[in-house]
Order: sequence, then structure tokens, then C-alpha cells
Amino acid sequence: MVMEVDRVDGRTPNQLRPLACSRNVLNRAHGSASWSQGDTKVVAAVYGPKAGTKKGENPEKACIEVIWKTKTGQSGKPEKEYEMILRRTLQSICLLNIHPNTTTSVILQVVNDDGALLPCAINASCAALVDAGIPLKHLAVAISCGVVESGYVILDPSKIEEQKLKALVHLVFPNSVPSVHPKESSRVGDEPKEHGLISSVTHGRMSVDDYLHSLERGHAASAKLSAFLRKNLQSQVPSNA
Amino acid sequence: MQHEKRSLTRNCTIWCRSQRHMEEKASASPASFISQAVVPGDVVLDLTNFSNHTIKLGGGLYQNCDAISVMKSGELKFSKPNKYWVESSQKRYVPCVEDHVLGIVVDSRSDNFLVDIKGPALAFLPVLAFEGGTRRNIPKFEVGTLLYVRVVKANVGMNPELLCMDASGKAAEFGPLKDGYMFESSTGLAQMLLGSPTCSILVALGKKVSFEIAVGLNGRVWVNAESPSNIILVSNAIMRSENLSGVQQQIMVDSCFREFKDL
Repeated sequence: MVMEVDRVDGRTPNQLRPLACSRNVLNRAHGSASWSQGDTKVVAAVYGPKAGTKKGENPEKACIEVIWKTKTGQSGKPEKEYEMILRRTLQSICLLNIHPNTTTSVILQVVNDDGALLPCAINASCAALVDAGIPLKHLAVAISCGVVESGYVILDPSKIEEQKLKALVHLVFPNSVPSVHPKESSRVGDEPKEHGLISSVTHGRMSVDDYLHSLERGHAASAKLSAFLRKNLQSQVPSNA
Repeated sequence: MQHEKRSLTRNCTIWCRSQRHMEEKASASPASFISQAVVPGDVVLDLTNFSNHTIKLGGGLYQNCDAISVMKSGELKFSKPNKYWVESSQKRYVPCVEDHVLGIVVDSRSDNFLVDIKGPALAFLPVLAFEGGTRRNIPKFEVGTLLYVRVVKANVGMNPELLCMDASGKAAEFGPLKDGYMFESSTGLAQMLLGSPTCSILVALGKKVSFEIAVGLNGRVWVNAESPSNIILVSNAIMRSENLSGVQQQIMVDSCFREFKDL
């Protein structure tokens, strides 16, 4: 039983909006990137590592601080929540023991919000961290999946679509990795590394089946996002003339 | 006539900051990754194949149980017999022993100067770390003085330590840099300027104008010439040359000088 969903902009349920990423967009920041998915655009700037950690933080590890700036208006509770989610996500992808007792600041500026804002911000901050040379365990790619009234899952909803959804989930996956390690590429064992999930933020009500279905779809789409991010990062590697 | 005061080409230390022209072809199994662009998370070496060998890892790589993974995005390089590293260009600097850098004095204490070298922590320069330095003739550096120094200790978690003399205790061009103009760039540009044979931008500029230059591996470059307009010309040309090939750099220098003559 296939249920076709008509999306406002004519996309298929699995189709993502056009992606664009540019690095080193800000002159003074140590690393910066701008990421846009369709009309949603976020600019991330990274400063660091700088000496000293905040009070109460473990001095044996690096500390990551996130500041979220809205497009208009003052920062309130939703922004604090985004900051906390981003901070936890980025802490899990950074190698925190390379530069102990330092602080790395990530500042995000929302340029335009047309749905899937949090995944766009996570992708932008990951690209900015790579641009700044902060040591990372792996990259993070984020995608948002929405569950429509009929139970169908659509990827990368725009703002209009988000308002009509039954439930929305933002998922962050580690990027898919080519490796020389023979065991990694085969699927023996319990959990191949590529099936890891870094973060999952849900809004609304959905059944467990809907959630697992979104996980599957999101994971498939994350492979496309990984490939895009990898191509973008590699194209800007300076070549030795 | 070209008069250059250049910082010495870098030594090939154990932790791999080799010059760019040393590109060896790898015959080992991870040949698919050597000289390729890599991103964080890529597993480039499987240590189960290397049971009895010693491998030296440079910047950008770390060991994760039985695999060597990449931490920074860049190009994976290999140098025989057993050195691997990732070459990348950043705006910040990771201190390494035996690097020659340009630091700025931020503060002075009774036994150390605190020097900013664009790294994660401030570096210490002992007040006696000068040729013939004794307690009676401690140099007085104001806040903001630019120094050409050598990194002697760069341990994780500790502030790096600097010295203003070379290994034999002579001053050898280290110390404060007077006059001139300092600008900041990326570590990749500094490595290109310090590569041997001399990079084409410096050769091209040297044919047109005489200038003095000191390049720090932390991305700071100091230029001095007779007139301010020459200083600006040389600095702008170097800043623009980062992503250009040798021939493009030559063309860019020629066009800079033509624009200048037209003014």
C-alpha cells in the first residue's frame, strides 16, 4: 500500500532541498561556514581553541561553548535549548583531550528560517569546526524527518510543511566513512559503525514504528549529505602547485 | 638586488613538519589514501598489518585502538620509511618543538615574558633566554613587541616555552623585529613561503624590489623595505598568493607592479 503525499513544492517524500555550503566566509573568525538547505540559511563561526575554561568545567578536557543568535528579536528559551542541543552534539564529535583547558566558541547566526533550522545549524557548525582545524572524531550530518497525519514520513520539511505535521524529528548521524580497515566495511557484528546515531530531538506524538521508519529514511538520506559534505571539504584542500 | 633575511627552513622533526617538496610515493597498502584529501573520521591505517613496525604519526592523525584515524581535513602525506601526517592550513597554530614563530609580548612577569603565538595557550619566554643573558641585563620588552623566537617545549596541557637563541646559544637573528609591518595569514601560506626551493612569489618579488622578510610557522609574516609603498606592495602580493600556482603568482606580481606604476 503506497500512499503518495503531495508536497507543496513538488518534491518527492525522500527528496532534499538544494544544499549549498561555503567555508571561510568570515574574515576574522578562526573558522566559519555557511550552510543552506533551500531557503533556510545559517552561518556558523568558530573561535578557538582559546586558553582557559569556564568555572565548573573539567580542566582536563576542552570546553565547547555555543551561542545562538536569532534573525530578529531577543534570545529566549528556545534559543537556550538549541544551544544546549548543539553543545551536546558537538561535544560528542570533538576530541576533547587534544587541547585540555581550552575553550572553543561556536557562534551561529540564523540568516533565514524556512524549516529544518536545527539540522542546518548542526551542519553549518560541523563545517565551521573543520574549517577551524578543531580535531574531530568524525563529521556529523543532520537531517529532519516529519511524520504526516497519514503516517507517511517526509524528509527536510519546509516551514509550511512543518506546521501541518503530526510529529517532527531531527536526527544527527556520523558521516559514512571509507576505510582501509577490512572489518569496518563488512557488516558482520552487531552494529556497523555507520548505523550510529548521535542525536535525536523529537516534537509531537508519533508511534514507535513511525520513529523507526524515520530513522531508516533519515539514515539513508544522511549518506547523500555525507557525500556532499565530503566533496565540499575536499574541494577546498589547497593543492601543492 | 635582493636582500633577504629569511627564517631558516624547518628541520624535519619526528613529528613531521617536512617541506612540501618531499613527496614520496607510498608502496604500502593504504596507498589509496596517500596524497588524497581526507576528512575527519577516515580510517587510514590498519595497525593489524603493521605488527612489528614503528610508525610515526604527525599532525592531524590519532590512534583509535587498532586504527589510525584522521582528525583534521587536509591531504594525507607519507614519507619513507614510516611517517604519516595530514597537511592542512589553518588560521590558528598548534605549537611544535623546533618551530620558528613570530610572537607578540602580552605581559611580563619576574621570570618570564608571556608571548602570544596564536596557539591554544600563551607561551612563556624566560627572561634569561637571550645570548649572554644575565639577571643584570634583562631586556625590557613593552607589551606589543614583535619577537622572532624558537619553540623549545610544546607539551599537551602545558604552556609552550620559547627561546630567543638557537641550539648553540647564539642570538642568530632571533629577538625583537623593529620597523616593518606584520600581517597574519594561515599556516599553509607560511609553509609555502618557507618551502625549499624558494617559492616563486618570493623569487618574483625579489627581482623587482629589495625587502626583508621573516616568516613564522604560526602564520605571521613580517616585511620590511625602504619605503612604505614597497612594504605594502610586497605584503599585498604575498597575501594574495595563497591559492595560486607558481605561474599564476608570477603573473599576479607583474600585474601588482604595473598597477603601482600607473598610480
